[in-house]
Amino acid sequence: MIKAIYYKEWIKTRWYCLLALLLSSGFAGYAMMRVARVCSLKGADHLWVVMIQRDAIFVDMLQFVPLFLGLAFAVVQFAPEMHHKSFKLTLHLPIRASKALASMLVFGGAVLLGIFALSLLIMWAYLHTVLAPELWRHIILSTLPWYLAGVAAYLLTSWIALEPTWKRRVLNGVVAVLLLRIYFLAPAPEAYNGFLPLLALVTLMYSLLSMLSLSNFRDGRQD
Amino acid sequence: MENVIECRNITHYYGKRLIYEDLSFAVPRGRILGLLGKNGTGKTTTINILSGFLQPRSGECLILGEKIGQMNPLTRRKISLLIEGHVQYQFMTIEQIERFYSRFYPNWKREAYYELMSRLKVAPHQRINRMSCGQRSQVALGLILAQDAEVLVLDDFSLGLDPGYRRLFVDYMREYAKAENKTVFLTSHIIQDMERLIDDCIIMDYGKILVQMPVEELLGKFRRYTTQVEADFKLKDTEGIYNPSVIRSSMELFSMLPEEEVKARLAAQGVGNLSVERVGLEDAFIGLTGKY
Amino acid sequence: MIKVSKIFFACLVAVLLVWQIPSLYNTFVAESVSTPFTLYSSVAGRFATLEHDEDKKMQYRDASGREYTEEQFDSILPTFYYRQLITDGRFPDTICGRAVTPRDIQLSNFNMRISPLDLNKPRLGIQQMLESMSGRVDLELPDDVFRITESGLEFVKMSANTIDEAKSASFTRMMQGKGFRFPAYRLSGNPTDRKEYDEGYVMLDAERKLFHVKQTVGRPYVRAIALPEGMIPEHLFITEFPSRKWLCFISDTQGAFWVVERDSYAVRLTGVPRFNPEMESMLIIGNMFDWTVRINRAEEESYYALSAQDYSLVDSLVYSTPSQTLPGLRFTSTKDKFVKPRFVK
Repeated sequence: MIKAIYYKEWIKTRWYCLLALLLSSGFAGYAMMRVARVCSLKGADHLWVVMIQRDAIFVDMLQFVPLFLGLAFAVVQFAPEMHHKSFKLTLHLPIRASKALASMLVFGGAVLLGIFALSLLIMWAYLHTVLAPELWRHIILSTLPWYLAGVAAYLLTSWIALEPTWKRRVLNGVVAVLLLRIYFLAPAPEAYNGFLPLLALVTLMYSLLSMLSLSNFRDGRQD
Repeated sequence: MENVIECRNITHYYGKRLIYEDLSFAVPRGRILGLLGKNGTGKTTTINILSGFLQPRSGECLILGEKIGQMNPLTRRKISLLIEGHVQYQFMTIEQIERFYSRFYPNWKREAYYELMSRLKVAPHQRINRMSCGQRSQVALGLILAQDAEVLVLDDFSLGLDPGYRRLFVDYMREYAKAENKTVFLTSHIIQDMERLIDDCIIMDYGKILVQMPVEELLGKFRRYTTQVEADFKLKDTEGIYNPSVIRSSMELFSMLPEEEVKARLAAQGVGNLSVERVGLEDAFIGLTGKY
Repeated sequence: MIKVSKIFFACLVAVLLVWQIPSLYNTFVAESVSTPFTLYSSVAGRFATLEHDEDKKMQYRDASGREYTEEQFDSILPTFYYRQLITDGRFPDTICGRAVTPRDIQLSNFNMRISPLDLNKPRLGIQQMLESMSGRVDLELPDDVFRITESGLEFVKMSANTIDEAKSASFTRMMQGKGFRFPAYRLSGNPTDRKEYDEGYVMLDAERKLFHVKQTVGRPYVRAIALPEGMIPEHLFITEFPSRKWLCFISDTQGAFWVVERDSYAVRLTGVPRFNPEMESMLIIGNMFDWTVRINRAEEESYYALSAQDYSLVDSLVYSTPSQTLPGLRFTSTKDKFVKPRFVK
């Protein structure tokens, strides 16, 4: 039965999955092409020196890409469920409601992580050929909070989308915006290294919030 | 007879507005029960409580002996739900939606679904959001037939359907429910549709149930009385007499009491010369609940 | 599940409130305390201050309360305002009884900033070592970088992204020969070509012994520097000032502040009473007579005047800078470049 839920989510989001894959990989690929261009014009030495002396990581353009991809993923996945309240159909399935919702979130989270992992792989594939391990790790580690923010945006948007009352949707929105700010406070590359494991754990726990929306939906809360 | 649906003493408010208090009813196995009521009397509220999308303030509802709030998810295999407007997953095609639902129901009757679909003038790859409401209602009906549940809960099945599709739906549903001994709880805002379909009816007014009985019994007893009176005549509140109204000098009133009883009660107020007629379900409904 | 979710939501809201409310208050309500611009004047023999009064007019004073005109103020801080004095034709022949030229002043003046932000930040772990005796006037950036591993110094050719085994081995051998125990505990260098000369790196080895390591004509130059008995260095700050008088500053585990003279490698204690570079920032404005050392601490701003000859404490001054900010949760700090939750009082 869980497989059937995945099947439904796949039908709903497959075109978006493809788009998100192309966008995420495209941006990562484009960032790498720009690095490669600098490399061919000025030599790899230049890259190394700019990184060492000026704290540059070359991939700042990727900063908000995962955030938007995650947010849009939740909209694409949950807006059709909210349309005419067809989420009722999902909740009427002979499977525990929290389990049904959890599988939907697992699907979205897994697809997003897959897409993000591919982007990281694309970056690694090029960077490790021209940069020392310290340098490419520096770049990859600096991007991790952004990808985590993508997952957070997905889970928080799901929470907002599933909430049946507007009053709480607005409240949730404010909370979500503040929570998402936490991922974009870096004063320097790699600033999140120590905080990352805790932040990742908290990010995954955002999925619990959707259970609150589910409970409000099932109790028939209205404005 | 075993009650498949049973609601006891439900009370519900939206905010401070009372919808109803201490509402109780039951639907025995194999019966088709229609819930009638004017807008805002709590039809959708009742359906939402029955389908588990609303927690009433107090009271409890059981389907197949299980409390709805704590129902074992697998019990929902035995309950079909039709959402207002024949809503189905818009993003799926006829084939996809069948493949999706079939995984959840062990007794899935694929043929029943495709038999109905073969009559629709749509391609199997057509997405549901490209279909008319009438076509969607057939998809929803096909899914209900394939699920082969014991209990069917249908929320306003007439909404958005033209008369042809309504008739098609009603006839199919009646034949299916009777042949397979299904228990059905439904609402509709078009009462003629109900009359062809339901065995029992509950007629609701604001905050309470007015009548709960077999349709046959209701129509057997219910009469409309008309007579001529002075233009400013006002009938006193009389037990058993529903919604007396005077337009110009014709008075109209309704009752379920025996004819002699009605005549006697009215004669006491100086009203005579009554003409009596039997009415259909729609008139009975208006007679019971009033036009306003 | 719902209960857990509700508790989690409540915790999130609490965290956001404890983060946002103090932060909004501190941004819009709390005022920062301003302190006057302060420098030690060897001419006046006390600290001199410059601040705006209520009418936005400049007030020139010294620590005894004596007021000065702007011109007088230039004269009591001749090394700081020497260019103004030259323009005015007032540059003196002698200062504090010493004959001076503008060139002497220019060479001996220096500014040094030490901020916790420079210490508490993610480190790349690779850096460049310049050629300190290239024979050219201008310094050039090398085509390799080095990292310090558990077992040695490793040079990596940047364009090829490969290890220069020969150079790595030569540096490692030389350093081990001088008693360096890998890995390094700290190192400080200033690998830029925008400076007048290069002293490479000062390093603490695994046993916190101090070394000077640089590259001269492609070969390693390594020098072990003897430390005073009982002194345990913590942080190093290479200087490379125009005067070429010092190699580096050192803060030790006891909060003392030391200088290492360049030619003699003598390690000398300064009169700065306490300094923790991980928490406090330091600004030194030095000249041939004295150093004004400003240390910004949590609730105060301290000024210490040191003699430029023997680094002894000549005078000190403390401004109280009480914090007006609300305590609360922060994710960033003015003291480091990390993002992590911390409760700030």
